[in-house]
Amino acid sequence: MSHENVKERELFFGPAHPGSGNFCVKLMVDGEKVLSARADPGYLHRGFEKLMEYRDTMQNAVLSDRICVFEPLAWNLVHAEAVDGLMGVDVPERASYIRVIMAELSRIQSHLIWYGGMSMGIGFDTGFKMAFGYRDYILDIFELITGGRVYPAGYICPGGVRKDMPDTAREKILDVLKRIDEIKMLEKFENPTLLPRLKNVGVLELKDTIRLGATGFVMRASGMRTDVRKDDSYEVYDQLDFDIPIQNDGDAYSRFLVGIREIEESIKIIRQALDELPKGRLKPIKPKLSTKIPEGEIYIRNEVARGEAAMHMVSDGTGSPYRCKIRGPSFLHMIPVLEYLLKGVQIADVPAIYWSLNPCPADMDR
Amino acid sequence: MRMYLLFTGALILVLQIWIGDWMKLKIVPRLLKNLIKKPMTVRFPNESIPIPEGYRGEHEYDKGKCISCGLCAKVCPNRAIEMVQSENGRKYPVIDIGKCCFCGLCQDVCHTGALKLTKNLVSPIIVDSNKKEKSGM
Amino acid sequence: MSKEKALVEKIERKFGVKGKAERKRIWINIRKENMIDLCRYLKELGFEHLSAISVTDFIKRGKYELVYVVWSYHDNIAIIVKSEIEREKPVISSVTEIWKESAQIHERELHELFGVEFEGNADLSELFLENWKESPPFRKDFNWREYVGKKYYYKQDEKEKIYLEAGI
Repeated sequence: MSHENVKERELFFGPAHPGSGNFCVKLMVDGEKVLSARADPGYLHRGFEKLMEYRDTMQNAVLSDRICVFEPLAWNLVHAEAVDGLMGVDVPERASYIRVIMAELSRIQSHLIWYGGMSMGIGFDTGFKMAFGYRDYILDIFELITGGRVYPAGYICPGGVRKDMPDTAREKILDVLKRIDEIKMLEKFENPTLLPRLKNVGVLELKDTIRLGATGFVMRASGMRTDVRKDDSYEVYDQLDFDIPIQNDGDAYSRFLVGIREIEESIKIIRQALDELPKGRLKPIKPKLSTKIPEGEIYIRNEVARGEAAMHMVSDGTGSPYRCKIRGPSFLHMIPVLEYLLKGVQIADVPAIYWSLNPCPADMDR
Repeated sequence: MRMYLLFTGALILVLQIWIGDWMKLKIVPRLLKNLIKKPMTVRFPNESIPIPEGYRGEHEYDKGKCISCGLCAKVCPNRAIEMVQSENGRKYPVIDIGKCCFCGLCQDVCHTGALKLTKNLVSPIIVDSNKKEKSGM
Repeated sequence: MSKEKALVEKIERKFGVKGKAERKRIWINIRKENMIDLCRYLKELGFEHLSAISVTDFIKRGKYELVYVVWSYHDNIAIIVKSEIEREKPVISSVTEIWKESAQIHERELHELFGVEFEGNADLSELFLENWKESPPFRKDFNWREYVGKKYYYKQDEKEKIYLEAGI
């Protein structure tokens, strides 16, 4: 049988690849050109929506950090707001400011992982090492406040926070923020390794974004001014003063620039929140096995580092939720948007496009 | 060692500027600053970063204070604690470290303070039989 | 609150349904036959972003409840549309002509996990599970203990007994 007439071959950019995480994309290639792509999720499916129906609220708060591995504190906040809304509880103001500080630190840390992963996928090793080096300072802050470096075990729980911030945390946070300011120089150097790989690669125009389901920084890099913290505001974000970075080109380099500017805005928010933090002491929250959630339903939207995260919770009067639907931003970014962007590109551009969408296989599969 | 690196770096820089690539000059102040900065890492296990208070490590159980209420077994989200019958007629908790996620809910729910989480990491002890013994805490 | 109240009155007059208005959220219950007309009307009003589609399984009443959540970037309001279908043969027409690819992927996930048939969806192949031959796993009557016992092993020990007696 001769092989000269074979035009298409199937290539797995797959789950055992060093640059792709727990996610597989099946590419049909012809020489060096990709003809079509098909996403194959499901390697990290744990069934969270059914697991949450068998546990009560404090146990669910511990479980909610594992919805997305890269930013556990942000998903803790989504779950805590849903239960607080159903129970009609008003969180004390000091706890609300502490929640905002932890969520913004988690956003900076997640963008640094994104920058490191993107550099590793392209081959820019210096960027990878610098990003993970700076991220370690933030993990030391998490260890001081919550007790664990990566998983805070439900620190942001329904009713406030699990325990108050210690007194030495404030100087430590200001010291770390001064060191992270050096990240700004990554943008100024116009690195000849980074620019030609990212400019004009994976262009997503504004008219296609809403139809494909893109949210968050992907829409901001294509020119649309939108942010859930400003449009559908939650916690104390409406009392803080910050800006939304916009770019107009829609390619991978624009998304990278939006990410770097978002780190600067988060540093501004944390400094304001530390200045305005109300005085006082919070009581630690202990788990109670007899709490019941009143009947009703609620829909909460938040802005995590990757886009718009949402949770729809239905309760029937017992201690566990009756149904808890989780909407992750990566579910839309990695299946429709990726299949649309990978048509007709060269194989060497596939890692650059894949990483520029900030993928998280964990919150796609849940 | 650093002087050799500095010398070769300066030589390559001068060569490139001579060939005509002026953009590389921007790196010189950054190079000099990085030369005198401390590295981001420490030389473990000779030095180590101190672990703060409140870190969630291994369990510590005081059998005298335990009243056998069984709340720690009911609150564990991973079902890692089991109440086991003992000779004097009461039940005591047994923790499965493989299932435990070190969340600390059992410490919060215990009324008498019998179950606590310490600062020990769950890690092996590093021993070198040629030098004297060191522990890899 | 005035923008939400005006929108609710417009929809109530046109379709004859009852709606509830809260701060930035509007909840509407509608019958299955009028669902597509309401969705087309909402798209014309500017509700272009489909945030989520979800299914709740009410086993006591014998119905599935479908929830569609749409968001408008112009008005900054979310409208949540709910309708009920039968639990034994769940069939409803698809909204992919209105909200294109973002609706298609949500419906594909719900078809696999709950067994809902969406008429008009071009591609309802498997997404997360591979070679799954049993009933859809997120239904309330799927016995996960039986499945784990048959496929892997049966675990009968003291630790699991308290949960077995409580019925979890």
